[in-house]
Amino acid sequence: MIGVVDLIEVLVKIGFIVVLLVGVFAPVLTWVERKQSAVMQDRIGANRADVFGFRIIGLLHAAADAIKLIFKEDFIPRGADRTLHTLAPIMALIPAILAFSVIPFGGTYTFGDREVNLVIANLDVGVLFVFAITSLATYGVFIAGWSSNNNWALLGGLRASAQMFSYEVTMGLTIIGLVMFYQSLSMVEIVAKQDIFWHWGIIWHWPAFILFLACAVAENKRIPFDAPEAESELVAGYFTEYSGLKFVMFWTAEFIEIVTISALCVVLFFGGHHIPFIADAKLIDCFSSLGANIANLVAMVIGVTVFVSKLAIIIFLQMTIRWTMPRFRYDQIMKLGWKMILPLSLIWIFVVGLGMLTNLIPRI
Amino acid sequence: MAITVKKVDRNVDMTLWERMYIPEMICGMLITWRHFFLNFVGLFLEEVGGKHYRRIATVYYPEEMPIVPVAYRGRPVLVRSKNGIEKCVACGLCEAACPPNCISIIGGERPNGDRYPDSYVLDGSRCIFCGFCEEVCPKEAIVMSHDWKNLCEYNRSKMVYTKKELLYPERNLQKRFDVLRDKYFSAYRYRQSPNLKTEPKE
Ligand code: SF4
Ligand code: SF4
Repeated sequence: MIGVVDLIEVLVKIGFIVVLLVGVFAPVLTWVERKQSAVMQDRIGANRADVFGFRIIGLLHAAADAIKLIFKEDFIPRGADRTLHTLAPIMALIPAILAFSVIPFGGTYTFGDREVNLVIANLDVGVLFVFAITSLATYGVFIAGWSSNNNWALLGGLRASAQMFSYEVTMGLTIIGLVMFYQSLSMVEIVAKQDIFWHWGIIWHWPAFILFLACAVAENKRIPFDAPEAESELVAGYFTEYSGLKFVMFWTAEFIEIVTISALCVVLFFGGHHIPFIADAKLIDCFSSLGANIANLVAMVIGVTVFVSKLAIIIFLQMTIRWTMPRFRYDQIMKLGWKMILPLSLIWIFVVGLGMLTNLIPRI
Repeated sequence: MAITVKKVDRNVDMTLWERMYIPEMICGMLITWRHFFLNFVGLFLEEVGGKHYRRIATVYYPEEMPIVPVAYRGRPVLVRSKNGIEKCVACGLCEAACPPNCISIIGGERPNGDRYPDSYVLDGSRCIFCGFCEEVCPKEAIVMSHDWKNLCEYNRSKMVYTKKELLYPERNLQKRFDVLRDKYFSAYRYRQSPNLKTEPKE
């Protein structure tokens, strides 16, 4: 039986995540993408949008974009399947947000006799859930391409589905070693076990991190794996025929997926909300003079801040990759997925298994 | 003379290090990161009066004007010499050389026997700024100016330039003549010079 307080707690967490993703990360990331690429390429970047002469280093461009796209015509091409055409962006956006529900963005804190666990749903199979949900996004993309009645869109959708299915498999396999290491599929437990700095995933599993990041970027269809929406070949790929708010949904989905992938990296490899060498209990101890509740609150705020900063660093890394690499050819993408990352991840599982069998890798 | 084929080394034989991709990718990212931090940190250093680390290439166009290089090919203009008349002798070479056929000339003759263009029309909406007219002209009478502003119109008929719009005083074009002579005449001299062997290099 769910009590009212439980319900409120869950709703607050959901609200926090949705506001963080849709309200903060999506618009700020459009700004970051423009500005970072500009600064990287010795330019200044978008800074002309202003309100009463205030430009706020180009941040208003996100608002200007939003206003423009809201008032744009919602165009459905002739011959397109109206229902599926409308449904596709929703199907792309929902899994992107949903995947965040099992990602712990903080630890467990006690307020009075209440334990607050900063994760919306503490599933025992959190890792599997994330993969199951993100693979649903393939439907949105493919249906978008198919229902548009447009050759470019169809080609983009085909490429996207083939690419996403291939990398789905590989992405799952890259972190099997990690799951063996932590002996759990629950995100919360994996984070809890990274309390000690030497147990962070990146220290024992850095090859898996590289493979995972490559797969994740491919899964997200971003450069260098952006063949499904290759501007120079396919106009805009699967969302060629989308305009207005539906286009925004695809765009938001892409940015939220960046955040989700970064969150996965943080949770699996970079110790979630933990500060290196400072365990949670110690952090709460530091503020214990303020009273137990306040100490917990301060620790919670610090934990969430640390988590978001780690997130920002990984996002920055992804953005740098996006503005540095040229696009792979389509056959290269497939070759990389099936012939290189897949065998390498299998080898890594074998290595981890061997290491754990011979106790070279500690059991935690 | 037999046609010789030169093999271009496209540098596709990558070493194992390069084929591993990840290290080279990290090197590439370090370059972009270096640019990012130089420009980003340089912004704050400049504020407090430090050295100019930023290498921003942006020109705030309507407020700032870009400085065009000397070899820039802007709107083609007819040269008006010091005594106020055009240098053109209406030979029609530019008309023949112009790829999109945008020049049309009607020649005339002055009382002293000099030829001059009675009407010289250059259709700016068709010009592709290739510079062929300038290259063929035997009298240095048509050159590419550094004029790049206000070349757009809402109406194509306004872009048809006649002699009135095309004439341009010679003294403003000295730099362009230098570029031209350097570019075409030195190459000509090189070919004609008896001291230099004219055989093509390997
Ligand atoms: S620049 Fe080229 S296109 Fe323009 S007038 Fe001269 S020859 Fe014709
Ligand atoms: S080539 Fe030169 S001289 Fe001859 S018609 Fe054209 S502008 Fe005049």
